[in-house]
Amino acid sequence: MKLSLAREMLLPALQMISGVVEKRHTMPILANFLLKVINGRLTITGTNMEVEMIASIGGVPVSEGFRTTVPARKLVDIFRALPEDVMVDLELKDNRLDIRAGNSHFTLATLPADHFPSIDAEDDSVTIKIPQKNLKKLIDSVAFGMAQQDVRYYLNGMLFEITQSELKAVATDGHRLALSSLEVTTGIEDVRAIIVPRKGVLELAKLLQDTESLCTVTVGKNHLKASVDSFTFTSKLIDGKFPDYQRVIPKGGDKKVIADRHDLKDVLVRASILSHESIRGIRLFLEPSVLMVSANNPDQEKAEDSLTVEYSGEPLQIGFNVSYLLDVMNAIKEDRIRLTLSSNNNSALIEGEHSSDTLYVVMPMRL
Amino acid sequence: MSLIKSLSPRLANQIAAGEVVERPASVIKELVENALDAGARRIDIDVEEGGVKLIRVRDDGCGIEKEDLGLALARHATSKIITLDDLEAVATLGFRGEALASICSVSRLSLTSCYQGCSEGWCVTAEGRDLKPQLAPAAHTQGSTVEVRDLFYNTPARRKFLRSEKTEFAHIEEVVKRQALSRPGVAFNLRHNGRVIHQVRPVASENDERRRLMALLGQPFMEHAVRVEREGSGMVLSGWVAEPAFSRSQADLQYFFVNGRVIRDRLVAHAVRQAYQDVLYHGRHPAFVLYFEIDPSQVDVNVHPTKHEVRFREGRMVHNFLYGSLHRALADIRPENRSSAAQERATLEMATPALMPARLPDSAFGTQTALTLTDRPALSAASASSSFSPPPGTFSAPVADVQRTLEAYGQLYGRTESIAPPSGAAGEGAPPLGYALAQLHGIYILAQNQAGLILVDMHAAHERIVYERLKQSIGTHSVVRQPLLVPLSLAVSRSEMLQLEESDEFIQEYGLTLEPAGPETIVVRQVPALLARSNIERLVRDVLSDLMTHGRSSRIEERRNALLGTMACHGAVRANRQLTLPEMNVLLRDMEATERSGQCNHGRPTWVQLDMAALDKLFMRGR
Repeated sequence: MKLSLAREMLLPALQMISGVVEKRHTMPILANFLLKVINGRLTITGTNMEVEMIASIGGVPVSEGFRTTVPARKLVDIFRALPEDVMVDLELKDNRLDIRAGNSHFTLATLPADHFPSIDAEDDSVTIKIPQKNLKKLIDSVAFGMAQQDVRYYLNGMLFEITQSELKAVATDGHRLALSSLEVTTGIEDVRAIIVPRKGVLELAKLLQDTESLCTVTVGKNHLKASVDSFTFTSKLIDGKFPDYQRVIPKGGDKKVIADRHDLKDVLVRASILSHESIRGIRLFLEPSVLMVSANNPDQEKAEDSLTVEYSGEPLQIGFNVSYLLDVMNAIKEDRIRLTLSSNNNSALIEGEHSSDTLYVVMPMRL
Repeated sequence: MSLIKSLSPRLANQIAAGEVVERPASVIKELVENALDAGARRIDIDVEEGGVKLIRVRDDGCGIEKEDLGLALARHATSKIITLDDLEAVATLGFRGEALASICSVSRLSLTSCYQGCSEGWCVTAEGRDLKPQLAPAAHTQGSTVEVRDLFYNTPARRKFLRSEKTEFAHIEEVVKRQALSRPGVAFNLRHNGRVIHQVRPVASENDERRRLMALLGQPFMEHAVRVEREGSGMVLSGWVAEPAFSRSQADLQYFFVNGRVIRDRLVAHAVRQAYQDVLYHGRHPAFVLYFEIDPSQVDVNVHPTKHEVRFREGRMVHNFLYGSLHRALADIRPENRSSAAQERATLEMATPALMPARLPDSAFGTQTALTLTDRPALSAASASSSFSPPPGTFSAPVADVQRTLEAYGQLYGRTESIAPPSGAAGEGAPPLGYALAQLHGIYILAQNQAGLILVDMHAAHERIVYERLKQSIGTHSVVRQPLLVPLSLAVSRSEMLQLEESDEFIQEYGLTLEPAGPETIVVRQVPALLARSNIERLVRDVLSDLMTHGRSSRIEERRNALLGTMACHGAVRANRQLTLPEMNVLLRDMEATERSGQCNHGRPTWVQLDMAALDKLFMRGR
């Protein structure tokens, strides 16, 4: 059983899928790719039992019945190292995969394809079609807010809420929250809420391109499936109850500040240099037209900076974790931001000046 | 026929004996305590066959009057307390009036005593079902002798539980050791089958005390022991704690005396453990001998018949006092204590003064060695003529040597001024950890001090220094709090809920804000910013359970310290980092100035001393 194809046909797919394969695992077969030929197409599958990604490659002379698993990282490294535009022959011989390209010859060990785990599809699913770039923007503006290895496992992912006309993404780690929504005609009656694990979200974001071409998202009870070009992405869902995010979005903040995003970000970056390494606290002093930022660390070193803002309310002093603010500054794409505060005990709402589809909530810190 | 009958006195006493007299060692404990309560200055203990055949305790206390002798063996008869008020502020070791009666009921006991000022002694025995005392005249000097023969002869069940003679005697030894530790002013003699096992003399000076402890606890303990003395709010703590480097795999070298009484108490154990936190290697136990004095009315000793446990009226205050005192004592350990201890041992080890001229400043040889510094060849000749002078160079004052070496290095690198140790460093002003000589494989620093060679684990030492600095910087700031955007709700038990209401203030102080949200639910609203990323639920549960069992909790500090420990580990110089001599010297000076610098924050030692004697041994020099 043999197939031959150009290096460039396979390399991008291999690189995309290798992101799913974990570096360390207890099941050896999870370090492998599944290669198989069905209906004249070569499919490559990588999985970590939670997230699965399949690439399908057509237009290559393939021999039916080709089916095996090979070490993923080694295969990627070999393809990456081969010269450009070389033709590569893959041949399955005695449970080994022979790779020949020009003068190069590699033999890789294989594991039986039957042992390769797969995520089962299911019924009771809804399908929506969204332009790739819209979905990508949605995920990118929220992803940073996801918790990482929190004991509250349901926070280690992103909530997707699908209603008849809207797709909403929410992420929080218990200290700050990011929310973005997208108008789509979904045609579903009830509301569906799912939590996609962190790893799945990040891999999906990598897969999405900045194009208008459509991506098909299928949401089931336990899985989310997305088909993008020649890739099929499947992720298991986190079975848990996401916190009621509507309750933490502050309402009725009376102190509204409009600031230039780039300037504010620069000021924060400068002040953060002298904030406490692990606590990362900074103070904001708000006065009409001026926002002053200060930070100091245990060595009694101090940073102060300020910028002109649009503000006409009462003076206010409030502390924040500067990393949280910087994350928000990086996520917003507009040039000016709107910051809404009410007191130094209540959370802050940050949005782009004109956009109403994305918002960020950050809890203050008591310094 | 009535079914309910009064038990005979003997049987009643045998039942009581079940609690108090467990094995020969418990007999000795009771008898020695009686002797101490009688004001004895000297106690002789004779034991035969592990105490099963014979136990004889003789003291020179006040003795018992003839009229009282009969009552002495009766149950619930005592001279130590009379009223309930006495019981609430008991100052004697015994007070239950049970010991002699119990022992008497399970053995053949005779008590001979001569009251102070009397000319003749009397002997009393009690036998039979009713334990009727019988008096007979006997010769005795002032004091009392209690002879216990054939222990458990009439209770075969107990007898079966006795172990081998050796084991039983080991228990006796331990009991005597404890009693001897509790009263430094009393002489103890312990004999087994006619052989003298322990003979400890009363203590007159602190040196005597050290010697006595060394005899009882062994030399290694005393070498690493640090004197503790603290007084405050009506409490006094004194004694010795071992440096963390001298830890035990078992909790066997732990003696705690409350008003002269040996106890094993959870509260005390907890306070000590906390004091040793982050200096003790994982799974090791500290060693200590501590004397705690407190107003007797503040302690309830009437908790258990054997009086091993006590209850403190002000448990939290006692805990804080113990923790605070020991924590300070351990933090104050500096390299100079250890090197001086090593030197002291060296002094003890050296049998002949001739072998240690360099260490005796006013001996004639002291001046001779001093000459070495200026004119080595001349001295070699001089020392060759004297039969017992040390090998030339070996004992020369090392500081100057170091200086010379450093200068040599300095010239090698073309700079002299920065490397020279601070002026006046020569002589006794030399720093305890000496001056760095070189770095070994990028891991260890070799340094030379008065006593010999110092090896420093560079990373471990620096880790501790960074750790202590971090702790200090955090400690001086008020706690930074991070309110939670999504509050965390926890299910707790009702007793935990009560605890929360009781110690809310304490919890707030550490930056945690917990609010009741129902009869068995609490909501976490705010956490310390430094721990915002850790497992908050477990932290809250641990804190509450600590508060319930010990009245206070150091979990938050512990967690915080663990985090700082990790930061310190990353912030410290790693292996294979080449250091220059000035850098190494700065590290050594930092170690001398840093608290707990003897251990890294995981309890591993940071430095060791190889003194000249140990080095000489390696090369069989001078023998």
